[in-house]
Amino acid sequence: MSDAAVDIRAVEKRFGDLVAVRHLDLRIQAGEFFSIIGPSGCGKTTTLRMIAGFEDPTSGTILVGGSEMTGVRPYRRPVNTVFQSYALFPHLDVFENIAFGLREARVGKADVRARVAEAVSLVQLEGRENARPRQLSGGQQQRVALARALVNRPEVLLLDEPLGALDLKLRTDMQSQLKDLQRTVGVTFCYVTHDQGEAFSMSDRIAVMNLGLLEQLGTPEEIYHRPASQFVADFVGTANQFQGTIESGADGVYSVAIDGVGTRGVPGPAGLASGSKVSVVVRPENLAIAEQPANGGNGLAATVVDTAFLGAERTVRLNSAMLGDLTSSARGAGPAPEPGTAVQVTWAEHHAWLVPA
Amino acid sequence: MSIRRHPFAASLSLLILIFLWLPLVVVAVNSLNSETLMASWGGFTTRWFRMAWSDENVRSGLKTTLLIAGASSLLSLVVAVSGALWWRHASPKARAVYDGLIYARIILPEVVFATAIFFLFIKIHFGLGLTAMIIGHTVWNSAYAAIIVQARMAGLDPALEEAAADLGATPWRTFRRVTLSALMPAIIAAGLLAFTFSFDDVVTSLFLQGTAQSPLPVVILGMIRFRITPEINAIGLLVMLFTVAIMSFAVISYATAGALGRSSRRGGGGSMLDMYR
Repeated sequence: MSDAAVDIRAVEKRFGDLVAVRHLDLRIQAGEFFSIIGPSGCGKTTTLRMIAGFEDPTSGTILVGGSEMTGVRPYRRPVNTVFQSYALFPHLDVFENIAFGLREARVGKADVRARVAEAVSLVQLEGRENARPRQLSGGQQQRVALARALVNRPEVLLLDEPLGALDLKLRTDMQSQLKDLQRTVGVTFCYVTHDQGEAFSMSDRIAVMNLGLLEQLGTPEEIYHRPASQFVADFVGTANQFQGTIESGADGVYSVAIDGVGTRGVPGPAGLASGSKVSVVVRPENLAIAEQPANGGNGLAATVVDTAFLGAERTVRLNSAMLGDLTSSARGAGPAPEPGTAVQVTWAEHHAWLVPA
Repeated sequence: MSIRRHPFAASLSLLILIFLWLPLVVVAVNSLNSETLMASWGGFTTRWFRMAWSDENVRSGLKTTLLIAGASSLLSLVVAVSGALWWRHASPKARAVYDGLIYARIILPEVVFATAIFFLFIKIHFGLGLTAMIIGHTVWNSAYAAIIVQARMAGLDPALEEAAADLGATPWRTFRRVTLSALMPAIIAAGLLAFTFSFDDVVTSLFLQGTAQSPLPVVILGMIRFRITPEINAIGLLVMLFTVAIMSFAVISYATAGALGRSSRRGGGGSMLDMYR
């Protein structure tokens, strides 16, 4: 049961009247790249700080590596943190920054040298050992922060929006480097970010939080294609959502009366009762545009509002009298539809997904 | 023509500058003047310096001054640093009260404080003398020290201390290896400032010295009441040079560290920290 790297059981955290985290149950498996995402104020950073020991849960328990952490101070916990601001010690050079934890653990001199050298080469900072943090670029500072945490061989590495301060190009580079690093060292990563793209590109599993609640836990594919709520559908990527009511359903495919469209078969999670209000989620890349009005089929009339060329793909904003504003995106060439063009939009049945409204 | 550029403004400024600096120049010149009456230049001499140095009264005065200045600036640092540590986690209301008390110590005339402490010590039968003077100096010295230390504390990234704890440092080790190191430039500057303020204080010392040995500034005051000798000029020049040297060191060290602190906002820091390692 407790072979999880981190086991969060029924944890709640209040700051006065504010409930930052509500009844959170979460298990992070050993060796996985786990991300917690959500908008600011959703409780993700508070959760991370409770694992690190900087905040104590109001109720509930947290286990790290099978040991209960209640009452255990941060300096006694087998976890290390990469801070959003990096929090490098300005009066120490790169070597001493990385060696800080080893010195606190009273590791022998020769061992310190060997392990720091190993960590330095892991993050490719050879030759910068004697530099001060302020002499390094943002990306280099970030790597020092990583090395400083990893050199202690923590059970879990906690990362609090570590790429937030970097520019886009560097951030993308660091994402793949982080993923490689995690595979190399095999340490459990718990990564907190508000950037879902970042989490998607690196994570084995993702927890989506909102207003202190866990909205969904799953692989990036599950979360993107089978969101558990309207919030998740909207927070993760772009979603076209149509309101409707379940008429009947079985085996995960329901017959749904979509307002202004008619009855369609839509896949969804098990256990939705007939008569319940739902929202049908169709991702922009699954919403196809047909220039010629098709006869029959499930084509719906819509008007092109404008188009945006994004390089690899093109996004088309549409308006439909029945469905409101829609977004469709497609790869590949072909002439962009002119604004004002009347078109038909369609989606394949298996490309839609039901969430409770 | 703007007021700033008007010849009258320029000449007035010049006169004021001369008025302020001329006495100091006269002191400096006369400290090297062999003419005892100081009315004219009688040739170069270092006699007055030798005389001052061998004056028993001056020597014990200097010793007392250094003792008071050293002890009160150390005490002021303890008060300032512990106050700043508390201040960071205090409620806004408590902070306002604490800040108010600091400014009160700076704004209120020294003579008021000296009198108040004098009466307090008499009332509680605390003997006047060296300890009383040290305490008296600490009362207002610690206010200046607190302002300097607090300014740096406010710019300290709290994540630095969390990072130290995260890396296994106990609260005491965190304080020593991170907090104190980061505050070190401010601590050095505040200590030197408090030292020079205490070094030339007359008012507080006069009130609280009792029958103890007078510190140097009080000794000088006594000397000019008795008779003005060129020896005083020599003492004056030395005190001036000493004070300027200390203040320059304080200002330069803090400015250097401050500039570096700004360039890496993440946690302050600077070259003065290096000496702490």
